[in-house]
Amino acid sequence: MSPEGTSAPVAPPVPSGPGPGRLGGAPRPGRILLHAVLVALSLAMVAPFVWMVLTSLKSHAEVMSYPPTVLPSVWQWVNYPDALGFAPFGTYFRNSMVIAVSHTAINVALAAMAGYALARLPFRGRTPALVFVLAAMMIPTFTKIVPQYLLAKTMPFFGGNDFLGRGGSGWLDSWWALIVPGAVTPLAIFLFRQFYLSLPRELEEAARLDGLGEFGIFARVMTPLMKPAIATVALITFENSWNNFVWPLIVTRTDQLRVIQVGLAAFQQTERTLWEYLMAGTVLATVPMIVLFLFTQRYFVQGFATAGIK
Amino acid sequence: MAAPTAAPPATRAVAGAHRRSRPLGHERRRAAYLMLAPGMLHLAWWIGVPTVATFVLAFTRYDILAGTMAWAGLDNFVAIFRDPVWWTAVWNTVVYTFFTVPVAMAIAVVIAVLLNTNLRARAWYRTAVFMPHITATVAIALVWMWMFEPNIGLFNWVLSWFGVRGPAWTSDPAWAMTSVILMSVWKGIGLKMVIYLAALQGIPHDLYEAAEIDGAGPVRRFFAVTLPLLGPATFFVLVVSLIESFQVFEQFYVLTPEGGPAGSTTVMTYEIYKSAFQRFDMSVASAQSVVLFVFLLVLTIVGRRFTGRDDVA
Repeated sequence: MSPEGTSAPVAPPVPSGPGPGRLGGAPRPGRILLHAVLVALSLAMVAPFVWMVLTSLKSHAEVMSYPPTVLPSVWQWVNYPDALGFAPFGTYFRNSMVIAVSHTAINVALAAMAGYALARLPFRGRTPALVFVLAAMMIPTFTKIVPQYLLAKTMPFFGGNDFLGRGGSGWLDSWWALIVPGAVTPLAIFLFRQFYLSLPRELEEAARLDGLGEFGIFARVMTPLMKPAIATVALITFENSWNNFVWPLIVTRTDQLRVIQVGLAAFQQTERTLWEYLMAGTVLATVPMIVLFLFTQRYFVQGFATAGIK
Repeated sequence: MAAPTAAPPATRAVAGAHRRSRPLGHERRRAAYLMLAPGMLHLAWWIGVPTVATFVLAFTRYDILAGTMAWAGLDNFVAIFRDPVWWTAVWNTVVYTFFTVPVAMAIAVVIAVLLNTNLRARAWYRTAVFMPHITATVAIALVWMWMFEPNIGLFNWVLSWFGVRGPAWTSDPAWAMTSVILMSVWKGIGLKMVIYLAALQGIPHDLYEAAEIDGAGPVRRFFAVTLPLLGPATFFVLVVSLIESFQVFEQFYVLTPEGGPAGSTTVMTYEIYKSAFQRFDMSVASAQSVVLFVFLLVLTIVGRRFTGRDDVA
């Protein structure tokens, strides 16, 4: 392209600013309009969260009155302990936390190893293995959920099953079913592979000359350089696990093992008008993710960009 | 390190550089297999086996109580194609996708372009738009259910300011689908916006300068420069969104339980759920899953063809 030739000779020929593209000097009124549009859009995106919190702090009478009030006339902080006493939201919250933390720990450990092997170790069958991970990433939940359920149900020697997996309930209604099947995700393996690919080869070779074994190179040289990548995978795993619904819904029956998303849905179906308690429950179910996101969003965005644009 | 153990195939190594990594080959292979094994075995058992099993189960008659299995040929497929509820579910899934995906994509690309300037408070806007994506669908659907409440809910109150008597939303057969679509568009914008934003930052700035010098205004630049160069990102967003949209479950499960008022909002995933986990007919559920899978496969291939053309200019 030639337009540089026509511009003033002050600037260097290649505009090397990688920052957000500045579309010329937008005029002042345009800027104000732009901000107005963006403020309106942002408010629309945030409004449901605000309404959720406000409702959770109103008395039952105020929630049921019409027209609704915007701010609670009396801030009913007591709704939260009351809701926890009325339904086992505390148990649900703890269960979700246990599962999400387990998934995150297991996934980071196992997927990092697999991703490292796929990225940096030459071995026969590496391409098929990578293709398998990519294919597994694309398999929709509902294409595998029925046999997954059957595999859990027929797990031998568990839940009263015989050695062929007959006669009992297997892993159903147990921590095993809640934690094991979702503990490793192909997305995490793929993300780790992408991140490990970007590390320089010289590091690996220097460590090898220093006499480190292959596992030592992985654990002590390469992985400590990958803290942002680990944060990204950990956050995405935690998010998916915390927000998961269908699998915990089908493998649990008892209140003791319900996760918070399933517990909330069940609460709404039995208590149709206790909106303030329901909203207190949804605050418990959403706030951990929102807080985590607000403090760590650059890792989230990095993860989506890596998965998306490659 | 280890002595050269792999001798015979060494003749294949041509360059001298290859010879240096030879003695390492064995140790690195062993490390690779050990490190891959836990993850890959897990994927094979919990994703590979179930995927194949779905396709096998779809052609069998499997009795979950007796644990018996018999070959059934195409019986399960014949059964679901004769089931009018299944066709309603397929139609509803298509309608839902048709309205949710393009609307959310269009809004997302516009927001991304607006945010791709060095605005003050840019990060705040981005956070607000992205937030619905990271919160749980079920929890947030319950909030929307409360906002959709016909008598005392937020939406009908706001509509009443303008003298509009709002519908019963999720419990009105004519509005139930619209309700779910509204919520899904809101929730779907964030991820698409972030992908578009990342892609926009890869567009070289001099293209805009060239267009500006050629006299193109902001709108013209958007359609002549931005959109064509967003081709690959658009393909990616489209395929991901279609796949996600065809698998929609939680919004429908929460907002319009039991397939919605008069069965008006049942979708393919809900029918699979019903067949498998309420009627425990795993064979029919598998046949339905296979149909859903074929839809997704076709969408992926067609999507690639359709947007692939704009790809590399």
